[in-house]
Amino acid sequence: MDARPVLSRTRQRRVLAGTTFMLTSCDSGGANDTPDEPPPPEEEGFQRPDLLANVGGNLIVPAYGLLQTTVDGLASTVDAFAADPSEESLRAAREALKASRLAWQFTNLFQFGPAESVVLRSALNTYPTNVDRVEANVATGTYTLGSIADRPAGGFPALDYLLHGTDEEETMMLFTADANAAARLAYVQDNAAFIKSNVDAVVTQWQAEGGNYTGTFLSEDNAGIDVGSSLGMLINAMVLHYERFLRDGKIGIPAGVRSAGIPRPGTVEVPYGGYSLELAQANMEALERLYLGVGFNGVDGLGLDDNLRALDADELADDIVATLADIRGQLDALSDPLEEQIEQNNDAVLEVFTTMQELVVLIKTDMTSILGVSITFQDTDGD
Amino acid sequence: MHRLRSYLTAPTSIAPLAVFRVLFGALMVASIIRFAAHGWITSLYVEPTFHFTYLGFGWVQPLGHVGMHALFAVMGLAALAVMLGLCYRVAAVVFFLTFTYVELIDVTNYLNHYYFVSIVSFLLIWVPAHRAFSLDVLRKPGLHAGRVPTWAVDIFKLQLGLVYVFAGLAKLHPDWLLEAMPLRLWLPAQEHLPLVGPLMTEPVTAYLFSWGGALYDLTIPFFLLWRRTRVLAYLAVIAFHVCTALLFPIGMFPYIMIGCTLIFFSPAFHQRLLDAMRSLGRRPTLVRDGRMWRPSRRAGSLLAGLLAVHFALQLLLPLRFALYPGPLFWTEEGYRFSWRVMLMEKAGYAAFRVQDPASGRTWEVANYEHLTPMQEKMMAQQPDLILQFAHYLEDYYRTQGLDDVVITAESYVTLNGRRSRPYIDPTVDLTEVRPSLAPKTWILPFEAEPSAQTDTKDETTSALVSLP
Repeated sequence: MDARPVLSRTRQRRVLAGTTFMLTSCDSGGANDTPDEPPPPEEEGFQRPDLLANVGGNLIVPAYGLLQTTVDGLASTVDAFAADPSEESLRAAREALKASRLAWQFTNLFQFGPAESVVLRSALNTYPTNVDRVEANVATGTYTLGSIADRPAGGFPALDYLLHGTDEEETMMLFTADANAAARLAYVQDNAAFIKSNVDAVVTQWQAEGGNYTGTFLSEDNAGIDVGSSLGMLINAMVLHYERFLRDGKIGIPAGVRSAGIPRPGTVEVPYGGYSLELAQANMEALERLYLGVGFNGVDGLGLDDNLRALDADELADDIVATLADIRGQLDALSDPLEEQIEQNNDAVLEVFTTMQELVVLIKTDMTSILGVSITFQDTDGD
Repeated sequence: MHRLRSYLTAPTSIAPLAVFRVLFGALMVASIIRFAAHGWITSLYVEPTFHFTYLGFGWVQPLGHVGMHALFAVMGLAALAVMLGLCYRVAAVVFFLTFTYVELIDVTNYLNHYYFVSIVSFLLIWVPAHRAFSLDVLRKPGLHAGRVPTWAVDIFKLQLGLVYVFAGLAKLHPDWLLEAMPLRLWLPAQEHLPLVGPLMTEPVTAYLFSWGGALYDLTIPFFLLWRRTRVLAYLAVIAFHVCTALLFPIGMFPYIMIGCTLIFFSPAFHQRLLDAMRSLGRRPTLVRDGRMWRPSRRAGSLLAGLLAVHFALQLLLPLRFALYPGPLFWTEEGYRFSWRVMLMEKAGYAAFRVQDPASGRTWEVANYEHLTPMQEKMMAQQPDLILQFAHYLEDYYRTQGLDDVVITAESYVTLNGRRSRPYIDPTVDLTEVRPSLAPKTWILPFEAEPSAQTDTKDETTSALVSLP
């Protein structure tokens, strides 16, 4: 038997071009196809379990693996910074933070199962961060990271504020010469450790030797499309994240669509580090990869597009590909820091929001309808 | 007329009615326990901050966490009392009122089988279903009646017949018969099932189910009525409903229908059932003999009038759609209360744009801040709910200090696998539209040129971002 992954040529062509963020782009299939070999039939034997196996094994688990590696790095660089605060060690901590936040963009679509049970998104990434509460926590030293009250004072956004601050010299001073310098360093370390422990918990849950959620995700019991099924949860989580946290959280809310038309540039994801747009782009790339089934190994395996095509909805599948490309193009035309972009030319940001809205209609309405997946998050009866 | 009258008032055994009461009560108890166990009392009636009400029933409001749980407890006890035949008339009235009240709280929870339960429990109020095999008779043996007028049993057969036939007529639709929609979308979801799984992806299976389902609905009441085909027909009832229970998330409905259709069987059959049940409890036989129950002359004519009105409404309500111009599936004008079961795969998305004339600003509503995902989903595909939500938003912004905002909806709906199309006229200020039963002129036509739609879409979405 030929062990080479069987990929259709059309799918090969659709493999994301140009977006190569931190994912090892491994050229599989396409290059070593022999020309006289008959192309494998496009829809041959599309099976939902194969889709889940690809998404689980090649997207979700590796994404969590990458996140775990980066937050490990974050914790250790932060410790190094606390041991010896210097411009150099601060820079290292900032870079590690950015790497973690980029990696997070590839897992935040999967807020179901283990991530849902620890409310990972709220714990790690509630923004905008509450600066007053962060300062109060530093000053008093009494706080419970992960508690509802301390969610807006912890996680990545708090580290963004603490490590970047508003002024380079002042930031360094606060960590070294300030009366609360030690407490400040401790708060940074606590947050990095908190992030790491949450991520570790979720990763363990997915592992076979841990909670074996991978087994649950791929089990035959969950192979249907009802609300509790794996595909049902995956698509519900994906659509919810896209609508609320990507379209609204990263673009719409800062651009003012949810605040009576008044832009709120202060609500961007990374107001201090200044790479909000980059995170939005990474998150869109994650969505695109999930839709196409492009794994961390670079192989374009079975994705939601293949499921649509197997159900003869090729036109819809193509339209979603095209809309994803439109969004990518419009995002690429913006520039970081996003808050400056909003202040200078918000129309371009609103344009992205509009295109993102079109994608909501396509994935939340047309796609779920064809796939038979219900968007409710609630298991109620139909008739 | 005279013959009909003498047929309806002729004595028949009370046994079918007693069995019906016990089964229906038991199914309701089970349904309510299941409903509570799923946490739906809280998620559907406590957590939502806003509820979509029925026209004229805006006063039906949820009663809060304690109140709703108390209401369900009363409903469950009433169902239990109906089953046992304890303080039956009171229990039947209480069950009908509590159940119907809950159903009226939020339109987005509407299900045909809830409507069916409301109707059956309404009919149960008017029949002496407790005059045999009940705790009431045990308490007061004088209540016992062995025979009742035929109408007391046959109104349930007629009601069931109407449900099936209207459900069957609704399936005589091009999408259902010619495209096998929406089953062709739904069945492939079951391909992981053992044995039959691979068949589910075959279009021919969808056609078989579509035509078979229509034929079943249209004919089953008649085969159940006819003694010679009855057993076979009932086996078909079981097979059909078990099949739908396995394939679709329709909760208790299949079991309710399997239980209720038993009433088509003969008095002798029900008598044997009661004897079998009684032998478990070693109670003396009470049903076979006994006097005939009859309403007084005055009560009789009142009942006749009431039931005549009821069944006239039952005949007319499902046909009211004919008074509206648009395609029914698209506009849903006259869709509810018509036994249109599992006919459409419909999904929509509605974005509400708010314009404040005072400041000239435009923005968009985050529906999820006001609605549960379930409410949002149902709202986006039903025009009257889109309108209701727009009015809710108008009130909401008024409390925010914004008087008289303009609210328009940009919405798309997909129906039976067709690509989504614009649904509501995005130029209409919905706050100026009064809710009514009149045809909704602000629903965009179903048959629009696909290319024309793309153009409109671009126009409206670009207008969306024109901020001051």
